[in-house]
Formats: sequence, C-alpha cells, structure tokens
Amino acid sequence: MKNIRQFQIQTMRWRSTATAHTPHVSTGSPEDLEVNNEFITAKHYSEVPGPMPWPIIGNTWRMLPVIGPYQISDLANVSYILYKQYGKIAKLGNLVGRPDLLFVYDADEIEKVYRQEGDTPFRPSMPCLVKYKSQVRGQFFGRLPGVVGVHGEPWREFRTKVQKPVLQPQTVKKYIQPIEEVSDYFIKRMQEMKNENSEMPADFDNEIHKWALECIGRVALDARLGCLRPDLPKNSEPQKIINAAKYALRNVALLELKYPFWRYLPSTLWKKYVSNMDYFIEICMKYIDDAMLRLKNKPQSVNESELSLVERILANESDPKTAYILALDLILVGIDTISMAVCSMLYQIATRPEEQEKIHQEILKILPNKNDKLDASKLEKMVYLKAFIKEVLRMYSTVIGNGRTLQKDMVICGYKIPKGIQLVFPTIVTGNMEEYVTDCKQFKPERWLKQSSGYIHPYASLPYGHGPRMCLGRRFADLEMQVFLAKLIRSHKLEYLHKPLDYKVTFMYAPDGELKFKMTERPTP
Amino acid sequence: MFLPVTVAKLVRGVFCNRHSHLTLSLSRVYLTRCVVPSVRKRFVSTTLSLWHGDYEWQEPKSEADVVRVVYVDRDGKRTEVRGKVGDNVLYLAHRHGVEMEGACEASLACTTCHCYVADDYLSKLPESEEKEDDLLDLAPFLKENSRLGCQIILTKCLDGIELVLPAATRNFYVDGHKPKPH
Repeated sequence: MKNIRQFQIQTMRWRSTATAHTPHVSTGSPEDLEVNNEFITAKHYSEVPGPMPWPIIGNTWRMLPVIGPYQISDLANVSYILYKQYGKIAKLGNLVGRPDLLFVYDADEIEKVYRQEGDTPFRPSMPCLVKYKSQVRGQFFGRLPGVVGVHGEPWREFRTKVQKPVLQPQTVKKYIQPIEEVSDYFIKRMQEMKNENSEMPADFDNEIHKWALECIGRVALDARLGCLRPDLPKNSEPQKIINAAKYALRNVALLELKYPFWRYLPSTLWKKYVSNMDYFIEICMKYIDDAMLRLKNKPQSVNESELSLVERILANESDPKTAYILALDLILVGIDTISMAVCSMLYQIATRPEEQEKIHQEILKILPNKNDKLDASKLEKMVYLKAFIKEVLRMYSTVIGNGRTLQKDMVICGYKIPKGIQLVFPTIVTGNMEEYVTDCKQFKPERWLKQSSGYIHPYASLPYGHGPRMCLGRRFADLEMQVFLAKLIRSHKLEYLHKPLDYKVTFMYAPDGELKFKMTERPTP
Repeated sequence: MFLPVTVAKLVRGVFCNRHSHLTLSLSRVYLTRCVVPSVRKRFVSTTLSLWHGDYEWQEPKSEADVVRVVYVDRDGKRTEVRGKVGDNVLYLAHRHGVEMEGACEASLACTTCHCYVADDYLSKLPESEEKEDDLLDLAPFLKENSRLGCQIILTKCLDGIELVLPAATRNFYVDGHKPKPH
C-alpha cells in the first residue's frame, strides 16, 4: 500500500461517506434500518434533475448534428455542462432506442456502485457490436461471444478463460521486449518521417495508430503485421488492416450517437462497419491458425510459462474460437484507445518541457547507455514516468467515462434509481473536482508518488474502471505506453511549436489537430 | 500441540529470506508437471499453477510441506487450516469454505480478497508490487497490514500466519447474501 498517509486518508474517508452506513449482513442491526430508511426517504427517480425531454423524439435530437445543442465532439463538455447545471447527479432521459443515461459525479456514490456490483457487472457498450456479434454473425460467435458487449454468465465464462494470461503481470512482462522492438522500429521510422523543420507530418496520429496496431497484433495474434513499413501498396494486407482498424471503433461513436438509425435500416455506414468487422475476423483466424501450427510443432514438454499469450490460450482451450474472439476484442478496443492516449501523452510531454526533462533524467539513470534494453525491473523503477501517465489520464482522461447498468434498485445521491438504468461515471469530470483531488487544476505528476502529500479520492480518477470488469487490456495498454514513451524520451527531445490544440472527443478524448511534433535527437552519452 | 509452532518460529528466523518464496514456488511448478497425469492430449498441467486453484486441493506430500494458516472472518470466527508450501491463500480459503471472495480470480483487478496480515508475518511476505499497491488504495478499511490474499503464496516461514478478513470486503450485501468462490 502506499503509506500511512494514504491510510489516514482512507480512514478519514470511511468515517464520512456513503459506505460507512452500508451494512455487510442483515442482522437487523441499526445499519440495516438505516438502509431501509434510505429507500423509504429517497426521492423518486423522476425527480432526478436533467434536461427536459421533448415529447416523442425525446433527447436524441440533442445529439443530432447542427440542430442539436450538443455536438458529438463536445461529449466531454456535455458531461461537464450537465454537472455544472444539475449537480452531482443528472439524467439524460428519453433517448430514442436506449435507456436513460444517468450521470453520477459523486466519487463516494461511484465507489458504492463499484462495491455492490457482484461478480457479473453489466457494462453497457456498443449496441452495434452487440448486434454484429449476436445477429449478423451469431453463428460464428455462438454461446460465448467474447468480453466486449457481452454480459452475465457468458461474459464471465469467457473472461475466466482469458483473464489470467491477459492481466497477470507475469505474462505481460514477457511482452516488454517484443513491444520494445516494435517501438524502436517506430522511433526509427519517426526519424525518417521528419520534414525539413524536423517535424512530424500533419497526419502523425495515423502513424501512431499503426504503431498501436502493430503492438496489439504482436500480442493478440502473435505476429508482426508489418503495418509500420513505409509505402505500403494499396492492396497489401497491412494497408487493408490499417484501413479497417481506422473505422472499427471510430464508426461506433457515429453509429451509436449521431445516426442510430441502423437499428431499423441498414445504412451505408452500418454496411461498412459490418464488412470491416468481417475482415477482422478473417485476419484473426488466419494468424491464430498460424500460431496453432507453430504450437503443434513445439516439443510436448514445453512449460506453459514459456508460451506466448495466444499459445497459452490455445493450449488450454480445445476450440481455437476462444483465441479468435479474444484477438478480435483486443484489436477492436486496443487500437484507438491506446493510440489516442499516446497522442495525448506526447502532446503533454512536448508542451511541458520541465516535465519532459524530469522524465528524461529519470530514464537516463535507468538506461545510461543509448542501446540499453528494457526489462521488468527497469520499468518498475520508472516511477515518475508512470506518475506522469496517470496525471495525463486524470486531467485528460482518454476514455471520458465508464458505465454500469444497474442490476438492482439502488439509492444514489438520495434518489431511488430503478434497475436497468445506465449509469455514467465521467472520470474526466470527477478527476478534476477540487473536493476529490487537491489542487486539481495543477498538472502535478508528483501527486501520484508515494511520498506525496495531498489527497486523491481513490475512485475519482479510474481511467480503466475497477473490479471484475476492469479493462481487460489494461496491463498491455500501460506497458505499451510506458515502453514507447521511455524509449522515445530517452533518445529524443520533443517539442510542439504551433498554436495550442484543443481537446475533443471523436471517440476518445484527445488533442484535436495536427500533431506536428518537432523531434530532436539528444546527444548520445 | 504448540511445540511445532515454537520450533517453526525459531527455525523461521534462520531460514527465512525473500527469495525462498521464489525458489519454492518454482520448484512447485516443476513438481506438478511431474505428478499430474496428462489430461489433455498435448499439455500436462504446466500452468503456473499458483494461479489455478486446483493445486490447493491436493494434500500436502509430507509434514515438512505443511503450512498452517488461521483465517479470522468478519464475525471473529477462527478457522485453522493445514495448507502447504506453494498454496495461494485465496484458493486455500475457498477449499475450506472461508469467505474470502476473489471476484477477479487473482488477476489483480479487484480488492475482494483484501485481508490483514497479523503481527510479524507481514515482514515475512515479499513486498507488494506496485499493481497490488494501486488496488489496495481502493480497498475499504485499508490498514498498514493490508494485503491482497490472492498475492500471498505460502512458504514454510509463514507457518502459523493469521489472516483477518475486514469487516466487509466489497459487497456490503444488504440482503444477507454471502459471497461464493468463483
């Protein structure tokens, strides 16, 4: 645990918050009565404040382009505006084709929900992926369609099959070297991409996407896809994968929020989405089958700890479908998320020279020679870099919030909330609230270090969520970011010499504009 | 009855070091590989069985392997069990019906196996990794001797270890529902 400081904070917190009066067993204790009272005295759900829905078309119009007041790119602002206008709980009701969204900005209440969620938390996500998995390709996905967009027992059964290799640090550690290789190659490519001002091209974010794709391919498909090579022919496989990946997740936001009509009519965007997904399945099957062949040729006696992630899953599952579907899920959610987070990290590093210098000094101590390779213990020592990553995720959380569908009635912020309502925990707002984070307006990576003073509510900034349904790719996401940033800052100085960029939501929350970083090689010691 | 504890306490001082934990668990992986008959066509149970939960159901091979553990549940009830070197205390708890939950199955995503390690045993455990620390920050009723049960692997020097479950772990089950192992 962090230290006594944290402990003191925790005990203080426990005395004063929601959980303090939630009993553990119903023994007729005074606490029980209190909970019953809570339900009796709580206000009705309809009293939760929120924008007034218009009759018939409800609140969907608010998300429509042009006429609606909320642009999709303002989603982060929407959640901020709702907070400003309505307080710690706000309802966005009467949305066409979906349940009400209930925004909760109270970290104690968020904590309460996470603690009571049981072992099959329901995370509402991407109805279009659900439709694809359950209807369009229902035959292929079968009874256990993976982790993304799946709930209840099928979700738990699948997650149990895969979560140990994907989350446990000892498997993840084995990917330090492969990710380092991909990142080194990418840094070399970045040097080639420089223009006459030593700047990255305007579409540099696309290049980062390719890096993320190459990394996730290495993890989920056990292969180098070759997406980072320059001048890929239009019809080459890597180029096709790149194109498919570009829209895999980005289209979801458009489909879900802006044009939800695919539910009733197959629109062009929807058809494109389906064909993209089909292509991904094809690719996953191809590479997993290759991995299967390699595994068959390995000696019988091989220890599981020597196997790759994919091989471990193939070895323990009679049906390769588990590996196909896991690979698909990892790719779908592991490209945009990580690459947008890296864009954001780079932008912050480039515009905060003092922070960059601190990170550089730390890495210099751990990797004194230019060609030093990373390993688990070296990464462990990069505490400032990790604190920096946490701080960027707190102030500019790439994923603006997490969500849960309530599986039983609950009292939240004094209102009776019926089950089935979708809760949104906007970590981007709660992570920036003074009452939960001391000096929340300051960018201060130090706050995450052990010796730091100052308070952070542990549930205020949870970019990966928490509990049994925590982000499955979390360890790999952290690893990829740490490795790439460490290697880049070790060898290069990064600057951004243009007009400051605004952060916007396309699907992720990231700087909107051309990331023309200036990259200067540091003198080699 | 109490003699072995005393002896163990004496011996512990001599044989205990951080790395004994590592060597022991490695040798255990090796052992399982040799002993468990091939179930599947290709792969014997070669998994790092620390993380499986099957291993905890095997009886200790010899008295020398036995590590006694005391669980104290939230009502103060003490359950003394005979574990063995290499057991994960989360899965050992499941075997003996102790309500240590473990919702994420030792994949370091939740805090439902949070427990307090009594007395001087805390210093005999390998120091917690950063990932465990991060999670402990989210655990209710955190104390200085808090650890996650799923990260405690028994070694001989932990003989007699006492693990106290916090008043509540994750689910403050309002309806009296008891957590079940996963």
